Amino acid sequence: MYKGIRSETFTAWAFMAPGLLFLAVFTFWPIIYGIPLSLTDYSVITETHYVGLDNFARAFQDSNFLISLWNSLVYVLIVPVIQILSILMAILVNSKIPGVKMFRAAYYIPVVTSMVAVALIWSWLLGNNGVVNYLLLKVGILSEQVSWLSTSSTALYVLMFITMWKGLGYYMMLYLAGLQGIPTDLYEAARVDGAGPVRLIVHVTLPLLRPHILFCTLISVMGAIRVFDEVYILTKGGPGTSTLTSSVYIFQKGLEQFNFGYASALGLIVSVLVGALSLLVFRLNRRGGVNSY
Amino acid sequence: MPRSLRYLINYVLLILLALFMMGPFLWLLSVSLMPGRNVFANPPAILPTFIDFENYVQVWNFMDFPRYILNTVVITLLGVAFNILLSCLTAYPLAVFRFKGRNLVFTLLISTMIIPSATAMIVHYLTIQAFGLGNTFLGVVLPAAVSVFNIFLMRQTFLGIPADIRDSGKMDGASELRIFIQLVMPLVKPGIAVIGLLEVMAFWNNFLWPIVVLDDPQKYPLAAALTYLNGQFSYNFGWIAAGTMISVLPIIIVFLFTQKYYMEGIAGAIKG
Repeated sequence: MYKGIRSETFTAWAFMAPGLLFLAVFTFWPIIYGIPLSLTDYSVITETHYVGLDNFARAFQDSNFLISLWNSLVYVLIVPVIQILSILMAILVNSKIPGVKMFRAAYYIPVVTSMVAVALIWSWLLGNNGVVNYLLLKVGILSEQVSWLSTSSTALYVLMFITMWKGLGYYMMLYLAGLQGIPTDLYEAARVDGAGPVRLIVHVTLPLLRPHILFCTLISVMGAIRVFDEVYILTKGGPGTSTLTSSVYIFQKGLEQFNFGYASALGLIVSVLVGALSLLVFRLNRRGGVNSY
Repeated sequence: MPRSLRYLINYVLLILLALFMMGPFLWLLSVSLMPGRNVFANPPAILPTFIDFENYVQVWNFMDFPRYILNTVVITLLGVAFNILLSCLTAYPLAVFRFKGRNLVFTLLISTMIIPSATAMIVHYLTIQAFGLGNTFLGVVLPAAVSVFNIFLMRQTFLGIPADIRDSGKMDGASELRIFIQLVMPLVKPGIAVIGLLEVMAFWNNFLWPIVVLDDPQKYPLAAALTYLNGQFSYNFGWIAAGTMISVLPIIIVFLFTQKYYMEGIAGAIKG
């Protein structure tokens, strides 16, 4: 038996070697190498020096970085909104009526489309003379045009809306899978006991969706903190710093200004933050528990 | 509540939601078919009063679309091939073998999920330059050649295969590699289809990393070329709309034809 396990160990590692090699270079290495890099002033232009914790000290005095962290935290506010809307959507598309599969597919199309295309479309719809302003003026919700993406007070929320719109279908599918795993006799039993539709959702559906809610919350929290594409394409962090999220700021420091050392330090700080938030989500969902697939 | 009324309410909600989710795409399609109309005209052009493919013809002639499509296809195929091969090989032992270090591998895989992509991108950039792969398709593909998500997804699939299969192969004296290739792999085709599709979408839509790695815009994939087009011709909405439709349609068509597998796969990603 012991020998069997030992030869299995060898075979297992032989199978995994190519994949792990790639993960080592492109997933583990960035985490490891980010640490020494963050202790230097490495940039392609000048000679590299060891600077100790200077980058970290600088980061906490860098008002733009602090603003970007704050914006990233504000961005996390879309997480509960996404969860609630996508659970409601999943319940809606879980009904067994003809043609419902067609609607599921329709709701999923924003998910498979590139963020570039989605961002372009919304930037036009939301333009000064765009369709959104036109419709809102027409029904009387607005009294004058709003330039949604170039007004500091609205830009971040508009980006959050676009992120939400694009992601809803994805979470809907995950919750739909969860709903379909709930045995129907549970609902029938609850109905016999006199539960109405709202009580069915609160007392049967939501508790049984718990693992799914935990998983979806986790990935959407991480997604919200990492958000990059839509911000980069649409506002590049502006106007001013109103939509500067941490990923965009790290990207600007790193790959636009080539301050690799400083950018790595910022990345580490954000990683710690993401780790802490994930732990928090786990804590809040103590009784759930993610099966490691 | 009578059944027909419940149906009616359901359909009304479904259609309203469909307008919200699909409306922007339908409007884009409409704009792309209206040559010479400015999307910012007042009132804005919403429904086409006539249909004309002039925008498509012009933007197709102006931008070298066959080249961008070819670039995208090459990058996508490379990326999909790497991902299928590497995630199957890595996931298989995690599902069926009992070996030392198994928990270590799990912990390592899960711990990778917290790193912000912008930070990883900085080191990827340095790595790709060090390998001399700057400005190459391989440089675009390699950082995403295997993903933890796909490994978990494939592991889930391999777990569903009866242990007898491997035992019977062993009885016949087949090597582990042979068992894997000839007996196990044919049984996980649906799982492979799923990660294949997921990666087709991911590589087809990727725009940022290609822009970082590729110096030569002639090598850009479609999504990256689109940002380029938008930067150059932000005044010519019809063209950009048509270009956007051209870049979006293939992936939507692929999705519509394969949605059954795709959605089952996404659903299989989490087991409560």
